[in-house]
Amino acid sequence: MKSKNLSEKILKSVKSKGFKYIELPSVIEANHIVQRSGENFRKFIFSFTDQNGNELCLRPDLTIVSCLRYLENNLKGKEKIFYSGQAYRKSQNKKDSIIRNQIGFEIIGSKDEKNDDKEIINTSLKSLQSLKYSSGILTIGNVEIFNLLLSKLDIPKRWRLRLSRHFWRESYFNDLLKRLETNSDVDPTIVEVDKKRYIQMLKQDQSTVIAGRSVGEILKRFNDKIKDPRRTNKGQRVSKIIKEFLNIKCPISQAAKKLNEFFKKYKINLVVDQKYFPISNNKVSKLNVIFSASFGRQLEYYTGMVFRIDIKSNSKNKNIISGGRYDKLILDLGSNKPVAAVGAALNL
Amino acid sequence: MNSIINIGIPSKGRLRKDVLNIFKKKKLNLISERGERDLFASIKGHKNIKVVYLHAREIVQRLGDGSLDLGFSGYDLLKESEINIQNKISVLKKYGFGKATLVIAIPDAWLDVQTIADLEEIAFQFKDQKKKRLRVGTKYPNLTREFLFSKGVTQFQLVDSLGATETYPFTGSAEIITDITSTGETLKANNLRILKDGEILKSEGCMMISKNTQKNKEIQKLAKLLSKN
Repeated sequence: MKSKNLSEKILKSVKSKGFKYIELPSVIEANHIVQRSGENFRKFIFSFTDQNGNELCLRPDLTIVSCLRYLENNLKGKEKIFYSGQAYRKSQNKKDSIIRNQIGFEIIGSKDEKNDDKEIINTSLKSLQSLKYSSGILTIGNVEIFNLLLSKLDIPKRWRLRLSRHFWRESYFNDLLKRLETNSDVDPTIVEVDKKRYIQMLKQDQSTVIAGRSVGEILKRFNDKIKDPRRTNKGQRVSKIIKEFLNIKCPISQAAKKLNEFFKKYKINLVVDQKYFPISNNKVSKLNVIFSASFGRQLEYYTGMVFRIDIKSNSKNKNIISGGRYDKLILDLGSNKPVAAVGAALNL
Repeated sequence: MNSIINIGIPSKGRLRKDVLNIFKKKKLNLISERGERDLFASIKGHKNIKVVYLHAREIVQRLGDGSLDLGFSGYDLLKESEINIQNKISVLKKYGFGKATLVIAIPDAWLDVQTIADLEEIAFQFKDQKKKRLRVGTKYPNLTREFLFSKGVTQFQLVDSLGATETYPFTGSAEIITDITSTGETLKANNLRILKDGEILKSEGCMMISKNTQKNKEIQKLAKLLSKN
């Protein structure tokens, strides 16, 4: 009963910020999830087959269902929406519940990026008022800064893309940095042998398809790889820069200053304005506000601002709200053009 | 203590032969009343032992649900099974026969792909440029998914296979495959190449026990006898 009251209070406060309540379907096509998150998500979903042979699943997360709704109803323009309900996921940990109660709110299809980011954070802060807590932390990051940094570093393009793609998976990302510092990824002996095969294949019809890839495509990538090798010493420098960048963590009011000092130190042609961040006060609603350059790594779909709020209540720390910007999610789900989206979810 | 001990033995293939050899060596005489096609057997002088011939995959399942106490199967099949089944089974002995490796194989003509790192890139190209997922044909979806994901290949779709997986890249069913191989000859003959760092799991024939019954003295005694070379 207590938690029901609480969630009603929170929903009320979100509504008062001008968000519209929507109902979301509990069952969706599993294909959407796999398309978005790849096969690994299959481990978490409860799926089953309908009478037509389509694979369906219980919603593992509400954000994706809300984005699907926007896409499938052909909605256009700005929408401010909120929803609440259960999400269902399998867990490796036997003690975890398979049911997660979520409240979410989002701004979809708006072009006013910076203000929308602020609004989502402010709405999160307002919903906190219904909760009892003594202190806490609001962590803010931005995936975009990392990608801008990568674009300025002297590494082969395929490595730039690779680091960008795996930013959100910390342990694998660290493996990548290690590889960047040490061994080569082009084996010279194999390249020699394959050159013969390469010349043979050059004489073939370039449009012939071998397992989904044309001969032309294969040879082009082979060429690119040979022409754009990675030098170990450069890799070491790049790895050092990235590691130092990811260690930047400071009160939010100093974020721009710290970043600019860092860019200057390594002669990287980038400047960040403090206005880039949705907040500049170091303390709001009993929360310490900090910037963390490495933050934003749990979910693949974030593309810009990311944040999370952890509160201390009865001397226990709890992650209560997480959110951020995911401008490519609707595109990944099948839209023919990108639709901006930013939102947050409360875990009760 | 006169409870029945249920033992599962693979019903066909190399594994069956090798397992039957162990019983023979230990002078445990397997008798099937209704001849060669009988899927049940007993052991002369051991009235409390019941032997069932099953598919090697099923042996793992039955150990997991406790209807078998002791079973012989491949390490690959154990590792492929669901985690809650694996948690209920212990491996008592790896025999050294039935050795094979689960590997990732790609079309040999994909000259530019030598390592998993290349594959990771190709997988994203399929997603971003072709708006498709790289499809991986396999009889081992769980092991394949976990391995690829751990190596950074997150963008792919699994295609379940029941056999002749080697043909998939050339029949349009999938682009690449994972399969179990001992010499690599079959893959080679089908124009496939194993990635340099494409080894997912080394497997061999094992004796496994259901954790439900592993404290049973009779079973322990029998298991001990069967695990001595």
